[in-house]
Amino acid sequence: MAARILLIEAKDRRSRALEQALTDAGFEVVASVDERDDLYARMTELAPDAVIVDAELPSRDTLEHLAQLGRRFPRPIVMLADEDDPQVSLEAARAGVSAYVVDGLAPATVRSLVNVAIAHFQAHDALRSELGRVQQSLEQRKAVDRAKCLLMERQGIGEEAAYQRLRKMAMDRRLSLYELARELLD
Amino acid sequence: MSSGSGQTGAGAPPEKRELRLGIIPLSDCAPLVVAREMGFFAEQGLDVSITREASWANVRDKVQLGALDGAQMLGPMPLAGTLGVVSPRKPMVTALTLNLNGNAVTVSRRLYERLCRTDPEAMARRPITAHALRRVIEADRRQGAGPLTFATVFPVSGHTYQLRYWLASAGIDPDRDVRLIVIPPQFVAANLEEGRIDGFCAGEPWNGFAVARGAGCSLISSYEIWNNGPEKVFAVTEDWAQRHPATHRAVLRALLHACRWLDADGANRRSAARLLARPEYVGVDEDVLAATLGGEFRDGIAARPRRIPDFTVFSRYAANFPWRSHGLWFAMQMERWGQLDMDAAVDEAVARTYRPDLYREAAADLGLPAPQADWKEEGVHAGGWQLETATAPIPMGADRFFDGAHFDPNDPAACLRGPGVGADGV
Repeated sequence: MAARILLIEAKDRRSRALEQALTDAGFEVVASVDERDDLYARMTELAPDAVIVDAELPSRDTLEHLAQLGRRFPRPIVMLADEDDPQVSLEAARAGVSAYVVDGLAPATVRSLVNVAIAHFQAHDALRSELGRVQQSLEQRKAVDRAKCLLMERQGIGEEAAYQRLRKMAMDRRLSLYELARELLD
Repeated sequence: MSSGSGQTGAGAPPEKRELRLGIIPLSDCAPLVVAREMGFFAEQGLDVSITREASWANVRDKVQLGALDGAQMLGPMPLAGTLGVVSPRKPMVTALTLNLNGNAVTVSRRLYERLCRTDPEAMARRPITAHALRRVIEADRRQGAGPLTFATVFPVSGHTYQLRYWLASAGIDPDRDVRLIVIPPQFVAANLEEGRIDGFCAGEPWNGFAVARGAGCSLISSYEIWNNGPEKVFAVTEDWAQRHPATHRAVLRALLHACRWLDADGANRRSAARLLARPEYVGVDEDVLAATLGGEFRDGIAARPRRIPDFTVFSRYAANFPWRSHGLWFAMQMERWGQLDMDAAVDEAVARTYRPDLYREAAADLGLPAPQADWKEEGVHAGGWQLETATAPIPMGADRFFDGAHFDPNDPAACLRGPGVGADGV
């Protein structure tokens, strides 16, 4: 009998793609819900063998509590006793996907389920959000660097002194370094 | 302030400069945000990226798996990791508490009005006890109505223990008389409005957010449940701490700076509210964030905000010190509510997880006074006092429990035997 899967995906990012991929791999997707759904009700009425959840959703904390309520509820894969390969958990965490499975589901089935989900998430959401974060951080760093150079040129001071001056100005004016840098550069 | 000196550790360069630290969007992620935005990490030679995580489970897994170097965590989380309570068993370390207090219990307007009708006297007293709630629950039971539902944010959290403590002190059994569930704090206001839950215990800004939306009334702050109890901590794995001692120490110095900055004056708190309001951090209206960060508790009951200056404490009262007695208190709550195996080696786990020795090194680097004892009693002081067993005397705050309980780390289980405690005591 095919393992019965509950999907939890973000309301604004839901696609049929993961559902299709899981069905193609031989799983039965019993329902696909979003983060606002009443998970206590759904989990009780559907009793899925496993849950795949977009790790960018806060819903995981509810699943952690459900896992506490008894063996009939799926538990996080990182807590499986026979999970001797932390690499899968790490890959899943990096890809932004999380899996909860009930006791007794065959390890090979769990592995296959998680791999399908990882492949899907790697191709879609995770990459995008990660990229956004890195770019933002890079942009902020560049702005602070440029402001520092500006001060070094204008005031003929060294790099360290310029940085300290930036910091002092930011603190005096209660701005973050990035905010101050943007202002100086404008 | 110079970060380098000739001493070992203080002057040693960090083993790793680029760090990824996780936060959850809450008012008390402020120390990490401030340390990054105001350059305190940079001052320690660290290049820190802050990643906003969606859930506490994510934070735990990513730190344990090494996808994050460290993170803001719920107070009992590192100990739960070391003990394997509602968590994979993986030794964790905390050498710094990020803040004291900062949560509240909020109920729907509908339930609040019912409480007032049922027991106006109890509801007029401050702090508000759960006695009126007990009468409502008894009335519901007589009429065969289902239990009221209360939400917290994670099974192992200060919120869960505070809510359970408050309920149990009025003779309500949190496991039988109400339904306790977990709902992410950004959804609790909507859940109150839709009637899916009747109340919750969560951190700020989510109580203020629910009150501002007209969805609820805040009955009691966590400050009033336990004056200056520990809230969030900075945590890493034990393995990470062993491999990066100088980096860890540098992070602790930066966070100590940030916490001091946050408590230096009210204007800094307002700046912090402005930073936190940005979409990449908490993304909630600055005015809502600024209220409790500034000690103004808008409870939705009183016409004017209640003044609670210690609503959230980031630095004063030796707030950042990782008291082993706080860890022990958490362990006692785990035991009280059946989360802990009877044979768990609690003392050993507390000593392994809470690392005042590392705190003292970082504090000494900055010339800050540090407590010399690892343990302290709770429920002893009604007001300010002076901690003399420290490298220099430290002004401390009140440490009362609202039910007058006393917690003695030499006899921790005594708190499990008191009146009104646990299912058997009520």
